[in-house]
Amino acid sequence: MGNAIDIDDLSFRHDAAAQNALEQVSLRVATGERIALLGPSGAGKTTLLTLLDARLRGWCGRVSVLGHAQEPERAPPLANRADTGFIFQEFALVERSTVMRNVLNGRLGRIPGWRALLGRATKRDADIATAALSNCGIADLADRRVDSLSGGQRQRVAIARCLAQEPRLILADEPVSNLDPARAADILSLLTAAAQARGATAVFSSHQPELARRFADRVIGMRNGRVVFDLPTGQLTETATAALYGDADQIPAAQLKVVN
Amino acid sequence: MRRRDLGGFWAGLLIVGLVLWSFVTTDVELSRLLSAGPRIADFLGRMFPPDPTVMEEIRKGTAETLRIATLGTLGAVILSIPLGILASETMVSPAVHRPVRIFLAFIRAIPLILVAMLMVGAVGLGPLPGIIAVAFHATGMLAKFYAEAVDGVSPAPVAALESAGAGPLLRLRHAIWPQIAPVVARDTIFRFELNLRESLILGIVGAGGIGFYIQTYVRSFQYDKAASVTIAVVVMVIAIEAINVLLRRRLA
Repeated sequence: MGNAIDIDDLSFRHDAAAQNALEQVSLRVATGERIALLGPSGAGKTTLLTLLDARLRGWCGRVSVLGHAQEPERAPPLANRADTGFIFQEFALVERSTVMRNVLNGRLGRIPGWRALLGRATKRDADIATAALSNCGIADLADRRVDSLSGGQRQRVAIARCLAQEPRLILADEPVSNLDPARAADILSLLTAAAQARGATAVFSSHQPELARRFADRVIGMRNGRVVFDLPTGQLTETATAALYGDADQIPAAQLKVVN
Repeated sequence: MRRRDLGGFWAGLLIVGLVLWSFVTTDVELSRLLSAGPRIADFLGRMFPPDPTVMEEIRKGTAETLRIATLGTLGAVILSIPLGILASETMVSPAVHRPVRIFLAFIRAIPLILVAMLMVGAVGLGPLPGIIAVAFHATGMLAKFYAEAVDGVSPAPVAALESAGAGPLLRLRHAIWPQIAPVVARDTIFRFELNLRESLILGIVGAGGIGFYIQTYVRSFQYDKAASVTIAVVVMVIAIEAINVLLRRRLA
């Protein structure tokens, strides 16, 4: 099988930014791998994940996701998008809708036109959504409205939505940064186990090297838009992570992120 | 004097000048105001007691006003859904939303009574010109409110649906609509209340509703009947407001 992700010489600059958010990034991710992206705030982790989810335009380089070459100026076909699932740091759920409705939203790319518009799920879609909810341990919350849930429950709903999408690649942007350490480990364990059960590739970003050690096969360190190391988890040393987060000049950026 | 004080000075001068100019150039005879006292008393006296025999006219007029406001609001909602999307900063490009917004501001600037007079000229007397006028006039505000509701949505769930492979229409339906539904309902009820209030006077220009009876009775000096209709209008406005407050509380 081919690689899930092939990136060569990728550079990207946000509109009106002074410097590139990604600078000549090259990396390869094999199908089924679990990858952790480590690095301080502003390192380019979110940018890289969003770009892999085909939601950024105007980059340079070569990017191929699940065997499809991406075009820098054009959105991919909707059917291709559904193969890549994304888990957002802030959950990105429709607060006023029920948990079930939110999970079914993950099916929208798979359901034909008018049925999706009316929100009529087929038996099959409903079964897939229910299985995703059970998988995430929240089957009992199906009829609750999202705005009545806790942070940990919301992240489970977001993961269930992603799983209902039946993705072959799961991208997770700091999926546990809003959760306490015990919940964070639970959620990452759930996420990586669900990916492995499906044979899907998983890439998650994090600020916590110990979580990367526990739940990834490989760790990629990023800083200032560049890949600074790319190691099997077993070779991740204290010095490597210390160097990644080391300098004092990164601290203001980290604090800014918290304020945001 | 500091610069800011100077600004206040000029503003004050402008206001005083405007008031003086209005007084001097209007034909205000204070003597007329003084002699009007007994006449106003006479006028009010003739309104009392209100004539209760016009209940049938009140019923007919109220029902027609209600119909005009209801159908006018429906027309405004139908026009405001596409125009609201086209006036949204987040859904369409500036090349589209800027001219649409200017068009809506233009509509808002035309008073309802003027639109009604033009419509009476165009389609004749009766409730139809009233309905068209209300629909047109209300769209100026309602489409702007809808656009603001669309622009106020949280973008993250919309991005999440895009990521899941949902097209623009599906994103509108499943990520934007659930977020704006309560706002749209509240704005529409508010506009319905305004439509009812404003359409009470449409009858004066022949565009249907209860205003027709007020104008007929005042012109024919039947002040006791006009008083009954006026009381009916006041009761109706208070009732609408009370119902609206209740509805809004439920939508919170």
